Amino acid sequence: MSESIDPVDRLLATARGDAAADPFRVTGVMMQYYHACERELWFASRQLEIDRENPAVVRGTRVDETAYGGRESKQLGMIAIDLLEDGRVVEVKPSSKLVEPARMQLAYYLWYLDRVAGVQRDGVLAHPRERERETVELTDDLAERVEDAIRGIHDLVTEESPPPAEEKPFCEACAYHDFCWC
Amino acid sequence: MDRNYHVFSNGRLERHEDTLRLATEDGEKKHIPIENAEAVYLHGQIDFNTRLLSFLNDNGIAAHVFGWNDYYSGSVMPERGQTSGRTVVSQVRAYDDPAHRRDLAAAFVRGSIHNMRANVAYYDGRSADLDATLERLDTVADSVAEADDVEELMGVEATARKAYYGTFDSVLRDEFELGTREYNPPPNEVNSLLSFGNALVYANCVSAIRATALDPAVSYLHEPGERRYSLSLDLADLFKPLLTDRVLFRLVNRRQITTDDFETELGECLLTERGRQTFSKEFEETLERTVEHPELNRKVSYQYLLRLEAYKLKKHLLAGEAYEPFRRWW
Ligand code: SF4
Repeated sequence: MSESIDPVDRLLATARGDAAADPFRVTGVMMQYYHACERELWFASRQLEIDRENPAVVRGTRVDETAYGGRESKQLGMIAIDLLEDGRVVEVKPSSKLVEPARMQLAYYLWYLDRVAGVQRDGVLAHPRERERETVELTDDLAERVEDAIRGIHDLVTEESPPPAEEKPFCEACAYHDFCWC
Repeated sequence: MDRNYHVFSNGRLERHEDTLRLATEDGEKKHIPIENAEAVYLHGQIDFNTRLLSFLNDNGIAAHVFGWNDYYSGSVMPERGQTSGRTVVSQVRAYDDPAHRRDLAAAFVRGSIHNMRANVAYYDGRSADLDATLERLDTVADSVAEADDVEELMGVEATARKAYYGTFDSVLRDEFELGTREYNPPPNEVNSLLSFGNALVYANCVSAIRATALDPAVSYLHEPGERRYSLSLDLADLFKPLLTDRVLFRLVNRRQITTDDFETELGECLLTERGRQTFSKEFEETLERTVEHPELNRKVSYQYLLRLEAYKLKKHLLAGEAYEPFRRWW
């Protein structure tokens, strides 16, 4: 049955708690992976775990923990957002190569807040070592891109096998690097 | 890549504050740094308690236990949160599908023959025997494609290995002779070295497999249950020529191992503690050797090649991408 439902509606049903038997979730990280590398998302969705001692993983965790000390973190259904004092949602972009994935992750948070909680917020995309910050607003156009991505994620994670490996500028820093290329 | 620590003396291994401490029977105390330990290899009679076991577990360190005459007796593996139902299911599915199992078994045999051949080619030029063996191995390698099932593949592997072991006596200096490969008990020095070295390869494969959440008991070429960790037998076959055999050739031919390093008792020829120490040391140095990896674009250690092999198998099983066995490429 579920195949015929629009993944966006399915996601909203899950968020409202109406889809206990057949939930479909998209986390912020999934949204980010989807825009960075679909293969990475597929691996992650299958819990193809990599080693805990892998340096790339350790690095990723550290940036997040130390970047913005005074943030307030809120768990809201399938997402966990960080709020600034003025109530704006902040997302840290890990590197210049990953701006777009981070922006889409943030856009997804804004979309989720709006559609699930009925709260309209702006977002801030920030980098811990660069002073400039970019404000992100949920326009109709951006909301549509978020919804397209939700559909894309749904299709991808239900595929039997991952898309083939394609060299990306951030492969070197990817936790799946060795797994992917060996 | 993390290191292996070998303990040869008898004594007690204990947690001492945040380190591992070995208290030997003669009252000596040694510390083993744990920050970068992959596994401890216990060759002597070692006492330990549950406090040590939880400590090893918390630090993700395996303990591989070596008995006196059967060399490998078992492992205490850290949990590492590395169990995955999905992985085991995919492993079992491939095992249960005769065509799939056959293809995986064939890959292991192809890889093994290639790696045996690489050793023979390295020593080629010393005698005419080796040329003949190279040809023989090529013919046997061709027959892998025609083998219909695992049983036939086992036969192919055995034929190749027999031809391969036949070259040992022309590679090794005169005092050392393999004759034929015999397991229990090893009747001569070379057999004894092979048993010891292969047990080390096997234990290292157990560690590599466990790091990936593959179930070490579900295997393809070897029958599951042949040993507790039969998947390790599958992987170990690929790496024995690179690890055991090359270490053996080096140590014997450089006279670092001599007949004095063995004790013969009741027809059983076994390495002395000193002999095992010498072998393990060279073996560990070999694991740390590196080679440029063409796909990863960096140097990787031989030990890491074992881990990559487990990755490749897992990727094949869960993502359906082709599995290409390890073939020495340098
Ligand atoms: S290594 Fe590159 S291709 Fe592979 S999952 Fe990571 S980013 Fe994607």
